Parts: sequence; C-alpha cells; structure tokens
Amino acid sequence: MIAPLTYAVVGLAIVLCAAAVYYAVRDKLVDDRLLAVAALLELGLLVQLVTGLLGMGRIEDPTEKATFVAYLVTLPVIPVGAALLTIKEKSRWAMGSLAVGAFAVAVMAARLLQIWNLYG
Amino acid sequence: MGDAPDTADSRRALGGPGIVLVVVYAVLALAATGRSILQITSYFEQAPLAYLLSAFAAVVYLLATWCLARGGRWVRVGVVACTIELVGVLVVGTASYLVPDAFPDQTVWSHFGQGYGYVPLVLPVLGLLWFRRVDRLAAATEARASGSTLGGVDPSALG
Repeated sequence: MIAPLTYAVVGLAIVLCAAAVYYAVRDKLVDDRLLAVAALLELGLLVQLVTGLLGMGRIEDPTEKATFVAYLVTLPVIPVGAALLTIKEKSRWAMGSLAVGAFAVAVMAARLLQIWNLYG
Repeated sequence: MGDAPDTADSRRALGGPGIVLVVVYAVLALAATGRSILQITSYFEQAPLAYLLSAFAAVVYLLATWCLARGGRWVRVGVVACTIELVGVLVVGTASYLVPDAFPDQTVWSHFGQGYGYVPLVLPVLGLLWFRRVDRLAAATEARASGSTLGGVDPSALG
C-alpha cells in the first residue's frame, strides 16, 4: 500500500522541482498552479505518514526503522516550510528554495521506498 | 564595525540565495534530529559514541539554520556553528576511515557525509561563505552611511 503511493510522491516531487526550476529560469513568481502541485504533494506525504506508521512494525532492523520513521515524519514538514518561504520571498531565489525542498522530498521518499521494499 | 542596533537589519541573512541555504540546512537539521532522537531512545547501547555525535551534529545544524534565517547578531554564532560542522565532518570523516571500529553505526559525519550525498561536507563551507558575504554587505552599507559625514573612503570602492 505504501509503495505505489511513494512512487507517486517521488514523481510529483520531481515534477514540482522541475516546475520550480522552470519558474526560476523564467523569473516567474509563485502562482496558484504551483502551490496546487505542492498541496497535492503534501496530501500524498500525509497519507504516506499514516500508512507508513501503521505498517512500520514489519521493519525489523532498528537502524532502518529509525531512518524510516524520521524521514516519514520530516517529509510533510518540508513542502509547508518551503512554500511559506516561497510566498514570503519575492525573488527567483524563492523558486530555488522550492526546487531544493522538492528535490529533498524526492530523495527522502526514494530512501523510504528502498527501506520499505526490503520488508514490504 | 560596531554593533549599533541599526546594523542588525542590514545583516539580515534571509533573502536572495540565502533562502535556499536555509531550506537545505532546515531539511538536514530535521532529518538528523529525528533520526538521532529515535537512535538515542530506542537502541542507544548499540553505538553510544556514534549516536551522541549524531545528536550533537543535529543540534548544531538546528542552530546554524536559526542563525541563517535570523541574520543580524546571529551571524557571529552562525560562523561558530558552521566552523564546528566543518571541523566535525573532517575529523569524524577521517576517523571513520582510520578507526572504523569506533563507529559501529553511521553518523551524519561518517565518511565525510557520504550517507547524505556529501551534503554535510559542502554545507558548512557554503554557510561560512554566505555569512562572510552578509558581513561584507553590512560593512559596506555602514561605510556608505557614515562615509558622507566623515568624508572617508569612497563607499563605492567597498561595494
């Protein structure tokens, strides 16, 4: 149940990252369309948090479990923080921070997937 | 350059490229903190040194994130935090290759931050460069402000 969702999350994060880079290059400010993608990503991360916590009993290795839970909880914080900064900062660097945040989400979600696939 | 209250604003670090650094720092700080809380609460005895180091690193990353975001008087604290991070990643990175037995489990700084895509090695350098830039900009602004009344150095030479 978590694997397909996490694939979707990784894909969406990559889309958001690419879109933010595109906006930065074109020197466009954040708009509703971009925020909608970020909101969708956030929703996916929250669902992933709940399903991940419910299924984490299956992960036996304690170190992997710690990483799994830490990333699971950290992930939903990133789009919210990055989006707030993006709205506040009115320059192309704001798009840069959104791109970095989205990239971090993609990497961390991929790491979740790696751990999950070992035990799922 | 003194610490006049009005210079605090010119030293605000947030804005421009600094905002990207804040995000990267915040992500690393959050991930490292979350992981070390779990390590210490659930299986501390497995590798006490590694987990204590991870926790220490996490706190320093949180501090550096705060300093980057606030700027002002925090710039000086931030420089110290980034220096600790740089020394930490170099010392622990070297030690993890020389005495691997001392580190049964990974820390953020093991193998020069390999597990985190070498981000822990690059980040403090970027942080230090950024703080230096902020400091220089503030100094230039101060010089410009006092230059006209004192008839001192041409402020544009400092820009």
